Amino acid sequence: MLTIENLTKTYRRGVRANDGISFGVGEGQVIGLLGHNGAGKTTLLSQVVGLVRPTSGRITLLGRDPVAEAAWARTVCSFQPQAQAPLTGVTARQAIEIVGRLRGGGRKQVRGRTKELLAALDIEEWADSPAERLSGGVRRLTAFCMAVVVPGRLVMLDEPTNDVDPVRRRLLWEQVRALAATGHAVVLVTHNIAEAERTIDHVVVLDHGRVVATGTPGALAAGREMHLSLSTPVDPALPAWAHTPHREGDRLTVTLAAADAAAAVTWAGQHCDRYSLNPASLEDVYVGLTEGDHDAVLVP
Amino acid sequence: MRSWFRSYLLLVRWTALRMRFLLPLFLIIQTFLAVGIVIGFAYLMPEVDPATALYLSTGAPTLGLITIGMVMAPQLVAEAKSEGTFAYNRTLPVPRTAVLAADLTTWLVTGLPGLVLGLVTAVFRFDLHLHVSWLVAPAMLLVALTATTVGFALAYALPPAITNLVSQALIFISLMFSPINFPADRLPGWLQAIHHFLPFEHMANAVRDTLTSPAGGAPGLSFVVLGVWCVAGLAITLRVMTRRD
Repeated sequence: MLTIENLTKTYRRGVRANDGISFGVGEGQVIGLLGHNGAGKTTLLSQVVGLVRPTSGRITLLGRDPVAEAAWARTVCSFQPQAQAPLTGVTARQAIEIVGRLRGGGRKQVRGRTKELLAALDIEEWADSPAERLSGGVRRLTAFCMAVVVPGRLVMLDEPTNDVDPVRRRLLWEQVRALAATGHAVVLVTHNIAEAERTIDHVVVLDHGRVVATGTPGALAAGREMHLSLSTPVDPALPAWAHTPHREGDRLTVTLAAADAAAAVTWAGQHCDRYSLNPASLEDVYVGLTEGDHDAVLVP
Repeated sequence: MRSWFRSYLLLVRWTALRMRFLLPLFLIIQTFLAVGIVIGFAYLMPEVDPATALYLSTGAPTLGLITIGMVMAPQLVAEAKSEGTFAYNRTLPVPRTAVLAADLTTWLVTGLPGLVLGLVTAVFRFDLHLHVSWLVAPAMLLVALTATTVGFALAYALPPAITNLVSQALIFISLMFSPINFPADRLPGWLQAIHHFLPFEHMANAVRDTLTSPAGGAPGLSFVVLGVWCVAGLAITLRVMTRRD
């Protein structure tokens, strides 16, 4: 549905925000765009909806060129910007309904869908309060509803879970999956990697405007080390499979290869009662990828 | 065209909803301004002759329109830019011209009650007999449109803090140093020359001459100058609205 080829954006001040980025998003797919602040994620999304003009490279959306046809691109693409949506003087329900109508929805359809979304995200109790008095999290959820009330074929969400409480974050992730289930393509920018890991099908990691890794969360983490944590006040003699010991108070963490997991469990059981063994998470992979200089890693 | 009009109506609704708490405030400010000029300014002069009364009474509605278009509107646009409304609207699938038209409509309607109130006050205070020309409606519309488009252009082209400063300066310039409430020949020659190109004097002429229908007929030149300012304001505003980094 969306193909990005060799996309480069250099701002007039000389800042290269995107540097030769390529990836694609298909129908029903949720792509997670990960990267530090300033990695070029927002610039990338802004080019797809025609707010920023690429310096070079090509974007293809549903077989057409959204750079040349920016007005059309905005009709097939719903975008939740990172900045809070303007809600001064209106209630959450009014804002969602008006944007739904502006996106081409019929009165009845929009009213029904708004009600559904407010219930699904459990924010009905604030639906009719003046929105400027709402908490940051509820405002963010309202902005999410504004983006998906009449979703375009492509939905782009820039940090949709900022300020949102853990319970409602889950509800939001469910809605993202529901969009994918109905054939929408979703591009998701988030720093909430641990949670997004369960929602996204494919990851694109950006660092300094370049793609440093792409693949499924599982494939990216495969072959990575596992973590063993145990609570012990003294440092026991470490077996040969244990690497990079790290202590925080009475908690000792070592890394090991997945093949040594059984040996690690036995060893840990001999030294303390409480221990945990975890596979590398997407967050670990991300931190590893974006630390220091490295070459691009491409995992199919 | 149908979808343009649909977007336009929905945007008018959204803007009106956002501004509904401010509308009464604008009405009060405009009324104070009009009454202030008509009644307050008269205290500055020992004797108000019919010519002065005419300038004050027709200057008041002109200044009301300038205040709405060149002070209130740019300040609210600056605020909208700061809080992200402008950036958000740019992501919506609506024509930019519909956004601009909706904003203009809201501001023109906002200016209307103050305009009428100012005139009514003047007529009662000075016992004026106006000879209103049929051109008064298009003239007022042109003045309001020019003030608002120039105000928008300033607000869209400049950073919000500068917009607020410039719009404050504009109200002083139009109130004290523009031939709106008094004849142009009281100003020094160089300032008169500048006012031939600025919109303020032409706004005053357009309003005064269509309210009083003098022997010379409608002020054609003023209409032309205002038209040029209006088009320039629209062009700059649309340019900023559609600009891509």
